[in-house]
Amino acid sequence: MGEEVARAVTIICRCNDITLDDVINAIKAGVDDFEVLRKYLRLGFGPCQGRSCLLIAARIYARLTGKRIADALSEYKVRPPIVPVPVRVLVSGGEE
Amino acid sequence: MRVVIIGGGVSGLFTAYELWRRGVRDIIIVERKYLGSGGSTRNIGCFRSSFTSPEHVVLMKKSIELWLNYRDELGLQLKQSGYLWIARKPETLDVFKKLSAFHNEYGVPTRVLDPDEAEHVQPGLNKSIITGALFDPTAGRMPVLENLVKLYLKLKSLGVTFHYYTEVTKLNTSNYRIKSASTSRGEIEGDVFVVTAGGRGTREILASINIKLPVVDETRHPVITEPYVEVIKPALVIDWDTTGAPYVTQTEHGGLIFARNISDVHEAPLTSHRVDAIGATIKPIIELIPVLRHVNILRYWIGYYETTPDHHPVYGPVQPYENLYIAAGFSGHGLMMGPITGVLIADWILNGKPSIPIAENLTMERFITGRLVKEIAIVG
Repeated sequence: MGEEVARAVTIICRCNDITLDDVINAIKAGVDDFEVLRKYLRLGFGPCQGRSCLLIAARIYARLTGKRIADALSEYKVRPPIVPVPVRVLVSGGEE
Repeated sequence: MRVVIIGGGVSGLFTAYELWRRGVRDIIIVERKYLGSGGSTRNIGCFRSSFTSPEHVVLMKKSIELWLNYRDELGLQLKQSGYLWIARKPETLDVFKKLSAFHNEYGVPTRVLDPDEAEHVQPGLNKSIITGALFDPTAGRMPVLENLVKLYLKLKSLGVTFHYYTEVTKLNTSNYRIKSASTSRGEIEGDVFVVTAGGRGTREILASINIKLPVVDETRHPVITEPYVEVIKPALVIDWDTTGAPYVTQTEHGGLIFARNISDVHEAPLTSHRVDAIGATIKPIIELIPVLRHVNILRYWIGYYETTPDHHPVYGPVQPYENLYIAAGFSGHGLMMGPITGVLIADWILNGKPSIPIAENLTMERFITGRLVKEIAIVG
């Protein structure tokens, strides 16, 4: 990790304001499975469902634990609806 | 003494913690996937003791006391903000009065509210369509994932061994004892075995030694919205008089979770999406709290109620084996019962009987004798 990156407050999840340090600290505290880390930090819980944060977090996780990125992401499931949907659309059957 | 716990969720972790507190040092937890990958991370994080059977009320009341102790001991988070059960029909209030009297008899301070009092507990309630409510101020909610990870890190620091992504395929017996568990990563030997692997998992493991456990995983479909400021004041608002008892809870991070018991295929795969059910799940709650019609749905997921014929858990020894115990079939209440599960299973292993006698009613024997427990309020 470059010094300049480690020093600054680096947001990796813009949905939930999760920082690079949050990820590093959780792994150092002993969160040793990526899916648990993801749920603990709520990565992928926001409106974008992890489009920007997941790969970054998985890379850091792989680097710090020696595990593979592909294995880290293997349990992740995208949930419908893919983008946020106003509840009135679903409740009224489509009319606005 | 080596204790092998099959199932790395809330029940398994609390069983390990309680055994450790009483001096057991060789504890192995075997988990098919990752920490809490079954019901422990798929639930909505709520707890209550206002049930309709003495077994549930007594054990859950004790469990909440233990949760409060662990909040201080392990730095967990939980909040007692109450459950609000809404009545739409006048006759439901009679049911609520009877339930409240029953709860009060067991020291659970529920009370019946009129519509104005209910609106005070949950601002924005549509008073014109409700007849009253039942309120349980001792119920509450917690951030599940955070608490589970804290408990996990504590157990790791105490020296509990975890084997993840290790699936138990069968138990091996000799002279009415379990000798070992065959797993996808080799054989694990032990002196005592505890199965806490959820409904179907526990059923399949017991089937390997020809024991039948009547439990089925009923599919549930919670829906979560984008985060909002606090709009739901109690831990849970439940629409008692609508089929499938729809409810809403708001997480510590602001997301509103809606769920309703819709009919579905039991043990449906975790990827069998029922987007069609989202509208029906939320509609009754919007009638009760109209401001919720403005929220945006973020995503939905599937979880299971590992359900027994009488909607109560199965605890204790598995006859005729001398060193096998189970904790399964929580029927939607495994998280809230976690701490008491640990205490009871540790009691059975170390003392041969539970420290709370009423728990004896929840052993597997009841499915043979036919003395099932009765429960009429299964939501949340």
